[in-house]
Amino acid sequence: MQSSQVSFIEIVAQLGQGLIYTLLVTLVCSATGMLVGLVTACMRRLGVAWIQPLISAYTYIFRGVPVLVLLFIVYFGLPSIGIKVPPLLAMALSLGLISGAYLSEVFRGALSSVDSAEIIAAEAMGMTRLQVFRFIELPQMLRFALPGMVNEFTTVLKYSPFAYTVGIPEITKQAMTLSATTLRGVEIYLAVGVLYFSIFRILLWAVQLIELRYRIPGLVLK
Amino acid sequence: MNGWLAFQGDLIEQMPLILAGLMQTLTLTVIVSISGLLLGIAVFYGSLSHNTLLSRFIRGYTAFFIGMPLIVLLFLMYYGLPQWGVKLSPFSVAIIGFTLNVAAYNSAYLTSAYNGLDHAELEAARAQGFSSQQIFKLITLPQVLRLSVPALTNQVIGNLKDSSVAFLIQYTEFFARAQELAATNFQFFKAYMLAALVYLALVSLIVLAARWLERRYAIVGFN
Amino acid sequence: MALIEVRKLVKKFGEQTVLNGINLDVSEGDMKVVMGPSGCGKSTLLRCLNRLEDSTSGSIYFRGEEITRPDVDVRALRQHIGFVFQQFALYRHLNVLDNVTLGLIKLKGMSRAEAKRKALFELARLDMLSSADKFPGQLSGGQKQRVALARALAMDPAVVLFDEPTSALDPVMSREVAELMNRLHQEKVTMLCVTHDLQLARQISDKVVFLDKGVVCAEDSIDQLSRHHPDQKIRAFFGQESNS
Repeated sequence: MQSSQVSFIEIVAQLGQGLIYTLLVTLVCSATGMLVGLVTACMRRLGVAWIQPLISAYTYIFRGVPVLVLLFIVYFGLPSIGIKVPPLLAMALSLGLISGAYLSEVFRGALSSVDSAEIIAAEAMGMTRLQVFRFIELPQMLRFALPGMVNEFTTVLKYSPFAYTVGIPEITKQAMTLSATTLRGVEIYLAVGVLYFSIFRILLWAVQLIELRYRIPGLVLK
Repeated sequence: MNGWLAFQGDLIEQMPLILAGLMQTLTLTVIVSISGLLLGIAVFYGSLSHNTLLSRFIRGYTAFFIGMPLIVLLFLMYYGLPQWGVKLSPFSVAIIGFTLNVAAYNSAYLTSAYNGLDHAELEAARAQGFSSQQIFKLITLPQVLRLSVPALTNQVIGNLKDSSVAFLIQYTEFFARAQELAATNFQFFKAYMLAALVYLALVSLIVLAARWLERRYAIVGFN
Repeated sequence: MALIEVRKLVKKFGEQTVLNGINLDVSEGDMKVVMGPSGCGKSTLLRCLNRLEDSTSGSIYFRGEEITRPDVDVRALRQHIGFVFQQFALYRHLNVLDNVTLGLIKLKGMSRAEAKRKALFELARLDMLSSADKFPGQLSGGQKQRVALARALAMDPAVVLFDEPTSALDPVMSREVAELMNRLHQEKVTMLCVTHDLQLARQISDKVVFLDKGVVCAEDSIDQLSRHHPDQKIRAFFGQESNS
């Protein structure tokens, strides 16, 4: 096999550049998901009646359509009816909204684990519904939801390579280019696999740190 | 309105290809759901082994495949391996890649169900004189599988949705056909919406089947 | 004028009448105990007093003001009425100190330092100062109930309502809570306690209100009720202790 024309340093630099885009996509989509998930879970909990079926429909549809299909609807489909969407926004509107649907369910489950006696106690004290939510339900819910949230963030990371299909030069895109120029696809994809795995482990580790920091003795899911 | 007519015309014309693509999607989903479950059970069985080398290898396997995007694995096999002289068809790549990936997830579900089991039961079986293979086959696996029904059926839904990724390695499944339809008349929005609806309908069918399965195989008195 | 006056209070849940014309007075400094068989409506009565439950008809007056009217500021009312629950209902994500300060800061608008001073005072009063940093999950049942009481008292309520405060506690812890309530009684804290724990009733009060089928049937000392009340059912209810 012909030795590569691209130096090792260049390979690392190119993958490093891709890494930044991968992290950007993951961050933007996770943040979108968190925001949408939290808002929808709140609205469900605080009971705006007419909006409940809308939220149910949202979570059902966005959990039932493949990420890639939704991404193509947003990025390639919308322009054909006159709406142009930039690549990163397209990722947020597909992968981000899908993770929002999953997170909404995660939050809903976590909210239902909050002890109802504590909620009544807070109301008996004279708190408004919003105060009860803010000071009692939300802090507990976020702790209960942590495993589900981590799960969702790693899922977002693993779907982030789809960003290359809309022209974002993230890790996988860089790997494709490098694989074509160096003809060392196996090594490069393996390295990329290890890279994703490392990000995944670092994420888990960071969450463990956060969990340790905010852990409360005796506060466990029943 | 012209657009709609053109779209409908092309849709009818390409229907055989689209249906063939749908068959490919379903074939892939069914095969990897079965092979992923079987390999998942095997991996789970290995993880219970007292051989530390084997169980450590298996932990590494599941962690790695859960932590790495499926698409990287598919690209490695489809675009990387030929450079080593190993050329696999898109179908083979998809089957192998999905199976390895799905098995890692399934074994993780089984393991977490196993951790929730009453281990006194397993002790009792050992005390009664069952071999460890018998215990696995007669007591551990049936319970663990039943407890994992929701997670395993969710994985099947995941498999169906993820099968759309296979078009990125030139496997002409349903979504690839939907794109061909879009490309012939530039009605991207309509073609992709149609695809989304079809996936949604199929997912709904699996959800209904899963609910039935859950009721059918629920263990009474076990939460 | 009594602090709380309940007049002809009726509460229905659908077809079922839980309270059927209750009349009851609680005066300042009172330590009143309401007893009765389970399902007699005693918890519902308590929940009506701070509007956790809306009554069907009749009225409740708090400091002479009718609080059963729909336009009453329920949240302001609740801040003047402490509530101690059967299951403690401490906020599990907050430590003992924060459980007490939360209401002071967010509802009374105290500064953090001010709230902390007040909370530490209340915790010291209930011998819980050394546990200020602990979380509810690390406390025994009796300790939890004392924190719950500190949380209620810190708001300087006009009255503290107790809903079966000892039913989740073992006898030793129950006695602790009873002693605490006696001490508060001496400090002129107004209390209304609903319980079916005769032991507790004996320890904390000399007069009890007996509730059955949604009406007040009798109000007297336990001795009088168990020996001399004309109704056999009431004698039996209060005599159950000597039988067992």
